[in-house]
Amino acid sequence: MIKKLLSFISLILISFISYSGEQEYKYEIIAENLSHPWGIALIDEDDILFTELSGQLRIIEKGVLNPEPINGVPEVLFAGQGGLSGIILDPNFNSNNKIYIAFSSPDDGRKTNTLEVISATLSSGSLEEVKTIFKASPSRKTAAHYGARMAFLDDGTLLITSGDGFNYREEAQYLDNHFGKIIRINTDGSVPLDNPFVANEQAKPEIWSYGHRNLQGIVVVDGVVYENEHGPMGGDELNIAESSRNYGWPAITYGKDYSGATISPFTKKKGMEQPIKYWVPSIAPSGMAYYEGSAFPGWTNSLFISALVPGDVRRLEISGSQVTNEEILFSDLGRIRDIVASPDGSLILATDGPKGKLVRVINK
Amino acid sequence: MITNSANLILSILIATCLVILQETMSNIFWLISIDMPVSLGTFISTYFSNLYAMNLSGAVPLIALIGIGFLIAYLVTKIILIWVNVPRSYAYALAGAAAVLAIVLLMPLAFYNLDILAGGRSTLGKSILTFFGLISGYYFGKTLDKQRAS
Repeated sequence: MIKKLLSFISLILISFISYSGEQEYKYEIIAENLSHPWGIALIDEDDILFTELSGQLRIIEKGVLNPEPINGVPEVLFAGQGGLSGIILDPNFNSNNKIYIAFSSPDDGRKTNTLEVISATLSSGSLEEVKTIFKASPSRKTAAHYGARMAFLDDGTLLITSGDGFNYREEAQYLDNHFGKIIRINTDGSVPLDNPFVANEQAKPEIWSYGHRNLQGIVVVDGVVYENEHGPMGGDELNIAESSRNYGWPAITYGKDYSGATISPFTKKKGMEQPIKYWVPSIAPSGMAYYEGSAFPGWTNSLFISALVPGDVRRLEISGSQVTNEEILFSDLGRIRDIVASPDGSLILATDGPKGKLVRVINK
Repeated sequence: MITNSANLILSILIATCLVILQETMSNIFWLISIDMPVSLGTFISTYFSNLYAMNLSGAVPLIALIGIGFLIAYLVTKIILIWVNVPRSYAYALAGAAAVLAIVLLMPLAFYNLDILAGGRSTLGKSILTFFGLISGYYFGKTLDKQRAS
């Protein structure tokens, strides 16, 4: 009887505590029943801003979700993969309260839409001084492949990922549009004079790199830009992105089209960059975070990529431009849309879907 | 009955092979346009790879999709032909064209308005695919006309 009781108790314990190598962790639910949580920005470990794809900007203050969304968010197109998406704090947020939000924005008449980025000041429950600082051109008819993640370079310029719009994939190879590009702008929306294609009259001056598909994660670590992007059926990629480089989509790819068709029989070409890692079959990478905390010493200096299929997080150890180890974590949470590293050493995950959650991973 | 079934299957096969040819050509021609090193061998191997993958490893087996489209279109045509007296080859040609056009137009509705058949994204692509449906239907109708004549 005692043995049975003990084994029952240990089963319960095991269900709450998980192990990753030597790292023991457990989950703490920060907020639940969220409407498609998508992007997370940490003010500090207990104050968290996050977007819901359906159009709400929400805030967790001192660890508690404010039931009222933040006012002043522009109208978004919530359809397909579109909605209120990426969010990032200004590097001087503590002094200026500025944030940047990327979203799918309906054009007049709503027949077309595009990726838009605004800057705004967060002020007691509402957004003020809302200003459009980037609008992808041309617009698209589809509601897919927006990219919509952001990161700051060390020089204070803003990188924005702009997806290929699905039906417009070939445009990723041409510089006269924003499909399938990484965009670099100043925070007031102006174009940095040292952008790689400013002297090219045929090119959009905001373009920083091109040949991308649907970039869903971007982080800058010691000046190195890592970005992940969805491949089609297979061929998801992790790249080190650099100014003016061509990442090959759709001329080279490790994936196939959803119809099964070969998009390109080529995986390499001179002048087109190779990923530092690719996944076949797809994992559908989403957010990305670099972990420098000490709460999980075994994970320090790892790159974490959240993934939607089948739903987990990939911890990658990187040496130079080589991925030296991959570990699959948190595969019991379902589809994971975003991941950020908190200053207290925990990780915060957003699970995907109409009843999404924010989950904190803490050391047991 | 057996002959009709064989001709129906053959007509579906013709349409499937032609749709895959168009899909392959649209991708390959674009690759050529950006100076990718495409050879005849690349084209042929890509086509045969697509023949397999688009029927057996894609999101939807193309041959099944075309088969269902043709069955519905041919059945409707057979009923209409009870009252309308036109050559079967023309009637079934129209049916085949309508079936493929319907597939190209309706498939995006199931996939967030995305064109899963990349070759059908443009108006020209849609027209070519519809024409291939017309050829396949014409073949089927012509075989029926021949049977009736003999």
